[in-house]
Amino acid sequence: MNWNDVLSFARGPLFQAALLIFIAGMLYRLVRVIGLGWSRNHVRPKKSQTKGVVMSYLKGILIWPFVPWVKNTFTKNPIIYLAGGLFHLGLFVILVLGTAHMLVWKSLLGFGWKTLPLPIVDWFAAATIVAMVVLFINRLINPVLKLLTGTAEWLNLLFVFVPMLTGYIMTHHLFFQYEVLFSIHMLSVDFLLIWIPFSRISHFVFYFFSKSIHGQEFAKHGVRA
Amino acid sequence: MIATQQAINMFVQETGGWAASQLEACTRCGMCAEACHFYQSSANPEYAPVWKLEILKRAYEQRFTLVGKFKTAIGIDKKITDQDVAHWSELNYYACTVCNKCAMVCPMGIDLGTLLHTVRSGLAAAGMVPEDLETAVMKQVIEGSPLGMTASVWDSRLEWVADEWEVDIPRDVKGADTLVVFTSIEVMKFPTNVAAIAKILNAAGEKWTVSSSAREVVNFGFYEGDQEHEKLFMRRLFDGAKELGVKRIVVTECGHAYDALRFHAPNLLSEANDYEIVHITGVMADLVKSGRIKLQEGFYDNVGTLTLHDACKIQRKGGYIQEPRDILNIIAPKSFKEMTPNQEEAICCGGGGGVIAIKAADPIRYDVFTLKIDQVNKIGANMVTMTCSNCRLQFTDCMDHFKLDWKITGLAQMVADAMVE
Ligand code: HEM
Ligand code: SF4
Ligand code: SF4
Ligand code: SF4
Repeated sequence: MNWNDVLSFARGPLFQAALLIFIAGMLYRLVRVIGLGWSRNHVRPKKSQTKGVVMSYLKGILIWPFVPWVKNTFTKNPIIYLAGGLFHLGLFVILVLGTAHMLVWKSLLGFGWKTLPLPIVDWFAAATIVAMVVLFINRLINPVLKLLTGTAEWLNLLFVFVPMLTGYIMTHHLFFQYEVLFSIHMLSVDFLLIWIPFSRISHFVFYFFSKSIHGQEFAKHGVRA
Repeated sequence: MIATQQAINMFVQETGGWAASQLEACTRCGMCAEACHFYQSSANPEYAPVWKLEILKRAYEQRFTLVGKFKTAIGIDKKITDQDVAHWSELNYYACTVCNKCAMVCPMGIDLGTLLHTVRSGLAAAGMVPEDLETAVMKQVIEGSPLGMTASVWDSRLEWVADEWEVDIPRDVKGADTLVVFTSIEVMKFPTNVAAIAKILNAAGEKWTVSSSAREVVNFGFYEGDQEHEKLFMRRLFDGAKELGVKRIVVTECGHAYDALRFHAPNLLSEANDYEIVHITGVMADLVKSGRIKLQEGFYDNVGTLTLHDACKIQRKGGYIQEPRDILNIIAPKSFKEMTPNQEEAICCGGGGGVIAIKAADPIRYDVFTLKIDQVNKIGANMVTMTCSNCRLQFTDCMDHFKLDWKITGLAQMVADAMVE
């Protein structure tokens, strides 16, 4: 087999097809949920709902996972908070602030931006991989997570883990021939893109619904979001 | 199977984008588990809030999503069975007080409390409400109150309270500004609260009244989740209010009743928005602030250590977080001490959501209260006050059960005693 051919297929037509499925699938999910309709709310809010929504995001994004109001929970189960937080932060750094991925964005969007130096991104990648392993183990041993985790949840972790790991090994030129790793990396990314609309990884879209609802509800009840 | 289908139909009917988008957002991270006092006290993973919601999520996925349909078709997901409905009935009615603490910690911000109420609606449609709770609901349908407070019982009790505490309780006064609706818990079990609230409103010169037709603020339909019952009991109140021509309805020390009237009624009955609906805690704080009643400063500073139990439906879900504290800082600036966690993070008493009405749930309910005992003991409090009679019922019952000797009281009662005439 010629890995160069595989690579150009995975980076070219397959990637574009996967991207298309990803976008169409997510649009479908969105339209379907919105299409279920929104009944009007007649309750007079106690506080400003706009402010509630803004606060909900500020607390959720800026200081999560160290939000003081989860302290009671935090002290009991820090693993999910720390590993989960680190994993998402790492993901953001790699996909948005890493040079390699910025160039992908640039080819798609037509513009680029300043990125972080490679060693920093690299450390984040290593930390993210460790965080994912921790999340995996946690799912294996935490009794609540055992109950909640089905095949789909295991696959979610796995399908994110493979591109992460191959990407890391690739930048360090370890173990395998570069083309082989790059091919596997791209194939797994393509697969992930197709998988997302069918799985709960789509949470990054619905996050904006639930988080807005949260801020709105808490303001309605006159409580800090 | 028919029952199960009814549950599913109700779930489907209640699943608009509002519910669907939140069900889709859940990452199954399990963080909500640690927030729930039922999970905390038992370590039973099935008490995780997200798991109590599982039946709604399954119904939604199997009915609306391609993946869900596919998974059911090939047998990865199983169709909801009668056993499932019975099982989730126990999980939800025995081990959830709909306190909404879980919504505080969910990283996705999912409003679990409201969704768990939807689960109850489905279970109620399937006729899977625990027997004790159903009996109480039917009692409210027929007699007007789950505690047997019929019109004549109400009449003689109020007569007696007025006599015993020498306080005027204006009845069925047309043209009054404010309609006060007590809970049967207060009228039957904590009559001092009724006297106290009457005393406060009289002292403030409020133009208020009670109503013999709108005499019960408790809404057991809301515990059960049956919308028709919810509406029936709410309508009785609004009809009474309309008859008397009042502008405002004051809910006394009852948490779920305030939640139901203030935050649910407007979406069920259009007349709800004709009235301002307030809780007595807010009324008292306003009266103090505007100087219409005066409180003796430090009146309770010699009682030892006093603490406030935050009632989830009035503080975390009702927004009256600062008000009781403002009052306590006047009447007990030295003896008042906060438990941790408190305010919107407070731990629920474990008796709400109808749990206290279900005999079979007693062991679970007592288990949960051990969290409260730890909290109170940690600060060495010997007196606990609160703004919800249902919490107070749970506290007094647990005093007996655990042989504790704290003094349990309601905030209105404290305010009335500390008033300078
Ligand atoms: C707005 C953006 C996002 C938000 C707010 C968000 C939030 C969350 C939260 C709260 C969790 C559960 C806690 C945890 O395990 O960390 C979670 C889990 C997860 N997220 Fe995200 N996420 C976002 C974007 C993404 C993206 C883009 C991916 C794509 C790969 C992703 C992949 C995952 C995975 C695989 C898990 C499961 C981890 C586990 O099994 O414990 N997330 N996310
Ligand atoms: S905390 Fe929120 S996102 Fe996590 S399992 Fe519970 S409901 Fe789902
Ligand atoms: S609403 Fe309260 S009792 Fe019910 S699951 Fe959530 S935290 Fe537990
Ligand atoms: S009885 Fe009180 S603490 Fe318990 S659920 Fe109701 S409001 Fe919350």
